[in-house]
Amino acid sequence: MELTGLFFYLVSILIAGGIYSLLCLGLNIQWGMGGVFNAGIAGFFATGAYASAILTTSTSAKHIGGFDLPVLAGLLGAGIISGCVGWAVAKICIRLKSDYLAMASIGIAEILRLVIVNESWLTNGSLGLSGVPRPFAGLASGRTADIVFLVFIWVIVIAVFFFSQRLYDSPWGRSLRAIRDNEQSASAAGKDVEKFRIQTFAIGCAIMGIAGGLSAHYFRFLSPSATDPLLVTFLVWVMLIAGGSGNNRGAIVGALSIWFLWSVTEIFTNRLPPEWITRSSFVRMLLVGLLLQYVLQRFRAGIIPEKAPKLRYSEEE
Amino acid sequence: MRKLTTMIATAALLASTALVSAADTKVGILMDITGPIANFIPPIQNAANLAVKQVNAQGGLLDGSAIAVYGDTTGTSQGAVDAAQKLVNIENVPFVMGALMSGTTIAAAEAVFIPAGVVQLSPTATSPAMTDLKDNDLVYRIVPSDNYQGEILAKMVLAEGIKKVAVTFVNNDYGVGIGNTFIDAYKAAGGEVVAQAKHEEKKDSYRSELASLTKGGAEALVVVAYAGDSGGKIVKQAAEGGLFSRFIGTDGLRDDLLIKNVGAEILKTSFFSSPTSPGDNPAQGILHKAFNAEYGGGADKAFVDQTYDATFLTMLAIEKVGSADRSKMAIALRDVATAPGIKVGPGEWKKAKALLSEGKDIDYDGAGGAYEFDANGDVSGFIGKFVVDGDSYKQTEIVE
Repeated sequence: MELTGLFFYLVSILIAGGIYSLLCLGLNIQWGMGGVFNAGIAGFFATGAYASAILTTSTSAKHIGGFDLPVLAGLLGAGIISGCVGWAVAKICIRLKSDYLAMASIGIAEILRLVIVNESWLTNGSLGLSGVPRPFAGLASGRTADIVFLVFIWVIVIAVFFFSQRLYDSPWGRSLRAIRDNEQSASAAGKDVEKFRIQTFAIGCAIMGIAGGLSAHYFRFLSPSATDPLLVTFLVWVMLIAGGSGNNRGAIVGALSIWFLWSVTEIFTNRLPPEWITRSSFVRMLLVGLLLQYVLQRFRAGIIPEKAPKLRYSEEE
Repeated sequence: MRKLTTMIATAALLASTALVSAADTKVGILMDITGPIANFIPPIQNAANLAVKQVNAQGGLLDGSAIAVYGDTTGTSQGAVDAAQKLVNIENVPFVMGALMSGTTIAAAEAVFIPAGVVQLSPTATSPAMTDLKDNDLVYRIVPSDNYQGEILAKMVLAEGIKKVAVTFVNNDYGVGIGNTFIDAYKAAGGEVVAQAKHEEKKDSYRSELASLTKGGAEALVVVAYAGDSGGKIVKQAAEGGLFSRFIGTDGLRDDLLIKNVGAEILKTSFFSSPTSPGDNPAQGILHKAFNAEYGGGADKAFVDQTYDATFLTMLAIEKVGSADRSKMAIALRDVATAPGIKVGPGEWKKAKALLSEGKDIDYDGAGGAYEFDANGDVSGFIGKFVVDGDSYKQTEIVE
C-alpha cells in the first residue's frame, strides 16, 4: 500500500459515496419527510442515468441521439425527466397505502428496466452506451481527473443538502411531516394529502435521477448492469435507515459509512489464507450482511436520528 | 475486552499484507464472482488458480511467487468500478485479468484502468463496443468480438450463392450483436435482407414472427438464437409450416439437440458458423488433462480455456517486463502473445521463463487459440463452417 494509491482509493469511495448520498437525500425526502415508500429507486436512477447519457454523448447510430449537450444540461435533463416519470407514477399509484405502494414501485422499476433492456433504438439495449463524457474533462487527465469529478459531485451533494434542509424546515415540509405522522388529522386541517405526496414523490425522483446521471458520467459507460436493484435500491434503503431516516445529515452519514463498509470488507477478505481464495467473495457478502445487521440493530433510529426543527413564532404576535 | 479483541484481529489482518514477501508479485484478477453469472464461476476461478499454481511450482514469477488477488464486481457497474479501484490503488497490481461480463469489463476500464494506465485482459467479454474504446492501447481480450462471427457468417452465406435472406435474432447482447453485424455486412457485400425480426426467448409459439419473415421471398432463414430455446423452436415451427426450407445458424444453434428435435433430413441443406480451434489443438488437451488432474473434472466447462490462457499471458507479460512497471505491460503482452517467437503452450512456464531470461522472443499459443492481437487489442480467432452429419455436425471449412 502506497500513499498515493490510498489517496485515490479514498477519492473513489467519496465519489461513490457522493452518488449514494444523493440517492439517500432523495429517498429521505420521500420516506423520511413524506412517509412515501419507494422501493423502485433503481428505476428512477436508471431513467436519469440514461437521460443524461443520451443527452450528452455524441451522435450515434446505435441509439437515439446523442445530442452532444454539456454535462450540466444532461444532469438537468436527468432531473426533469426522472421527476416527470416520478410524477406520472405518483399520479397513478400514490393513493395506495405504504406497503402496496412499495409493491407497485418495485413493479414500476422492473418495467423501466425492461424498457431499457428491450428498446434498443432508445438505449442500445444490453450493449449499453459508450463515450459518456465527464464534466470539465479538459482540466485534468488520468487519475487526477477523478479529483475534479469528486469536487463536482460534492458541490451538487451540498447544494441538494441545503435544498433539502430548506424543504424540511419550510411550511411545505412541516405539512408533509404532519401527513406522514397522521394522515387523517392533516387532512382534517385542510391539507391536500394527495397533492403533497405526489409532489414529494416527484422531487425525490428528480434527485435520484440526478444521482443516476452522475453515475453515468463517472463510469463513462452505461449498461443495464449499472441498475442492479441490490446495489441501487436495497443498499440505499439500508443507508438511509442506518443513517437516520428524516435527517438529511443522517442520510449523508449513512450513505458514506455503509458504502465504506461495503467496499472495505473486500480488502480484508482478500487477506484470507489462500485455501479460502475461491470463497473470499462469498465470505465478504456474508460479512457485509452481518455488519449491516449489527448497524441496523445497534442504531435503530439511525446514527443521527431525526430532530424536529425548533418552533419559531413570528414577531408580530 | 471485546473491543480490544476486535482491534487486534483487525490489526493482524491488515498487517498480513506485510507477510507477503517483498519479492512476490500480485496478479489482479477481476471476476463477476457473486451476481448473475455466479454459476459459471467455480471452474473459471479454478482455471485462473491453476495457472498461478503452475507458475509458482515452476520457478515463480519474477524473483518470488505469483499471488492471485481477486476483485469481485458483483456483476454490477458500481461493484466493478469499486473492485477495480481496490486492485489498482490498494493492491497495486501491475496488470489485471478480467472482467468476464462485457458491461462490467467496460465500466471498470473506462472509469478506472484507462485513467490509471493499467493493462486489462478480458478472457470472455465479447461486446463490439470494446473495439472502439479510446483505451491508449490498454484494453485487450482473447475472444473474438460478437461482430466477427456476424461478418464471417455474411461471407459464408454469399459464398453459398444465397442473395436474399430473412433474419431473426434473439433479443440479448449475443443475438443483437451478431444479428446486426450480419445484416450490415451482408448488405454491404451485395446481399438483400428481405425481412428481419427480433424475438424474445422462452415463448411457445413464434408463428407470428415467422409469418412476417416469409414475406419477400427469402432463399433462407438466418437464425441467431439458442437451439435449446427460441432458435430450436423457430426452426421446428418454420419447417412444420413449410415456411422455409433452408436454415443458417450460429454457434448457439449448432447443437446436437437441434438435430434431435428437428431431424437431419430438414437440416441437410443448412449450415452453421461457430468459433473453432485451428485444426486439432494439442495445447487444449494438455490443459484439460492438467485441469482434470487438479480438480477432478470440469475442464470442458465454458471459458476455462480462455481464463487459463489470459491468466498465463498476464504473468508472461509481467515476467517479460521484469518488474511491476505498469507502463510497459501493453507492449510486453503483445510481444509474448503474438508471432514471431519461440512457441510456448499451457503449463510450459519453466521453458518460457528460461527463454525470457535469455532475452528470446516467445509466442504463447493457448488452449483457446493463438491470440494474435490486432491494433484494437482484439483477436480474430477462427470461425468454422459446420454441416449436419448424422446426429452431429462436421466441420467443412475454417475461415479466419
